[in-house]
Amino acid sequence: MKLLKTFVILVLIVAIFGGAMFALNLYTGPIIAKNSAGAANDRLNSVMAGGAAYEDITATLSDLPATVTAVHKETSGLGYVIEATATSDYTGGAPMDILIGVDSTGVICGIQLVSHSESLIFGADYPSTYIGKDSALAGVELYAGSTFSSTAFKDSVSAALNALAANNLIAAGVKGDDQILTEMIPTVAPGFTKLLEETASGNIQKAFQAENGAGFAYIMTAGEKSYLAVVNAMGACKVYDTEGNDVTADNAALADEAKTDAAAKQAAYLDPFKSKIEKMMEGAADITPITLDTFNSVVSAASFTFEGATYYAFYSRSVGFHQMDIYFIIDANGAITKMDAKQFIFEEEYFMAFGGMDVTAYKDGFVGITGDTFTGEEVIIATATMTSNAVKQATEDTFDAFNALKGGAQ
Amino acid sequence: MKKGTKTSYLLKGTPSILLVLGAGFVMASSTDIRAALGMGAAVLIAMLLSSIVISALHKIIPAYAKLPAYLMIITGFVSLISMFMQAHFPNVVEMLGVHLATLAVSAVVYRDAEEVADHNGEATSIKTALVTGIFFTVVMVVCALIREFFGAATFWGKPIAFMQDYKISAIAGAFGGYLVLAIVMAIINKITKLHHHLDEEEEN
Repeated sequence: MKLLKTFVILVLIVAIFGGAMFALNLYTGPIIAKNSAGAANDRLNSVMAGGAAYEDITATLSDLPATVTAVHKETSGLGYVIEATATSDYTGGAPMDILIGVDSTGVICGIQLVSHSESLIFGADYPSTYIGKDSALAGVELYAGSTFSSTAFKDSVSAALNALAANNLIAAGVKGDDQILTEMIPTVAPGFTKLLEETASGNIQKAFQAENGAGFAYIMTAGEKSYLAVVNAMGACKVYDTEGNDVTADNAALADEAKTDAAAKQAAYLDPFKSKIEKMMEGAADITPITLDTFNSVVSAASFTFEGATYYAFYSRSVGFHQMDIYFIIDANGAITKMDAKQFIFEEEYFMAFGGMDVTAYKDGFVGITGDTFTGEEVIIATATMTSNAVKQATEDTFDAFNALKGGAQ
Repeated sequence: MKKGTKTSYLLKGTPSILLVLGAGFVMASSTDIRAALGMGAAVLIAMLLSSIVISALHKIIPAYAKLPAYLMIITGFVSLISMFMQAHFPNVVEMLGVHLATLAVSAVVYRDAEEVADHNGEATSIKTALVTGIFFTVVMVVCALIREFFGAATFWGKPIAFMQDYKISAIAGAFGGYLVLAIVMAIINKITKLHHHLDEEEEN
């Protein structure tokens, strides 16, 4: 009887409160749902002024890039809001979250960097430079000082808009030859960091110098056509048409004009590099400069003999937290014999762990590594991700240069 | 009040014990005055309603079923309050986060139900719940005022221009929360002459 009474009391309590919650939910449920929808709309309206309501159309779209996480259609026809992510090559961890508003004509009407974990990020005003642009993103520059994060941001925005265009939701923007060729530079000359515009003359319509001194890029015209010419720090030149084809052989005059302009402006790396080789390998003889048509971070290369054997030296100017100067000496079999850098860590008070770093052991860790055995683990400096990445790029570029040399691309 | 009648720590002159029992939600809700007022109202209403119901039912609920019964009553009221606040004060609910739901298992509310409402009639239970709820609200608002002003340089979420260069972010965080709560408890102890009270008890 006592048990039954307890049971009845507990059931009654549950029933009364269950009923009360049910009744209250009839009143609060619609209000809570409206509040939730309003909160979601507020977020989307931050890039789409005046948006009334949104419909998630992600599932209806095809071939969306992995960086596009959701696409919302504004139901009154104002346009679309895209939720996208971007991950830079350097930080590579948690992605940036981006909100992009695109009006019905395909023009960006609002854009926001919602969150990020980048160690170096562009200024708060940078996203607003995308407003008013179509999917061509003509005139949108990378952000000086945080090239990697702004590149990832721009690539993500471009991919998102192109995806909408591919699904016939907006009209695709049209790129001019000038823009197509300028955007080609990172592909054909990946070692050219931030491009600084130089004065142009003759057939050169636009001239750029890589900030790391790895070379020059030129937008040139010959008759009705436009071309991209790239000249590396060793003096090698390649000419590309707007389709990305290597047309150097057919445009020797343009190549010569580009090389002449570059030679007048190019910093002289060879003499100091020769001195560096002599310091690294005391007794090095017959130091002979090599011209390679690689367009990565390697700015100078030379062969020399030491104790009767032939060696190759490479000088890379990859960029980490700051500009780096990294040197490798490789034997005839492609194994690193010595590695050195002018400076590994530039802000020692920032990189606390550097105090415990054994620089000699770090450099010795590269000895014997070949292009085939290099894993990337060898470059890691604790707490200095950007410097580690710069050393990794320099090592990979050096092996690429060595392979080009052995492949006869001299 | 009759000697031996169980009542609130507050009415017995030992409010700091009560504050320690409720330190969790005081800390969580004293980062912003709006959150403090919201949590204060939730604590007050939850204690008041559960005290009324428990003091009315305590005689018919068997002793061994009191724990689940009282917990269900408190949880039920906290859920109803939470639903109401979600509808009308969604920003406050967002600020309070999970701490609003954990009010259902708060030692302050359960202790009030078990030791006050379970041993007294409605009048005493209501009085205790009102006094305790108002006390917590005042403490949380005072703590929030200090933490907002000195920790976040804001008032009611709005920036205070002249404080922006002088704010101490740690005060808005957990460390500052404990520090501010400790200072407030010390002031309350001084006012209520806690030490004198304890000395008197020891002498008796």
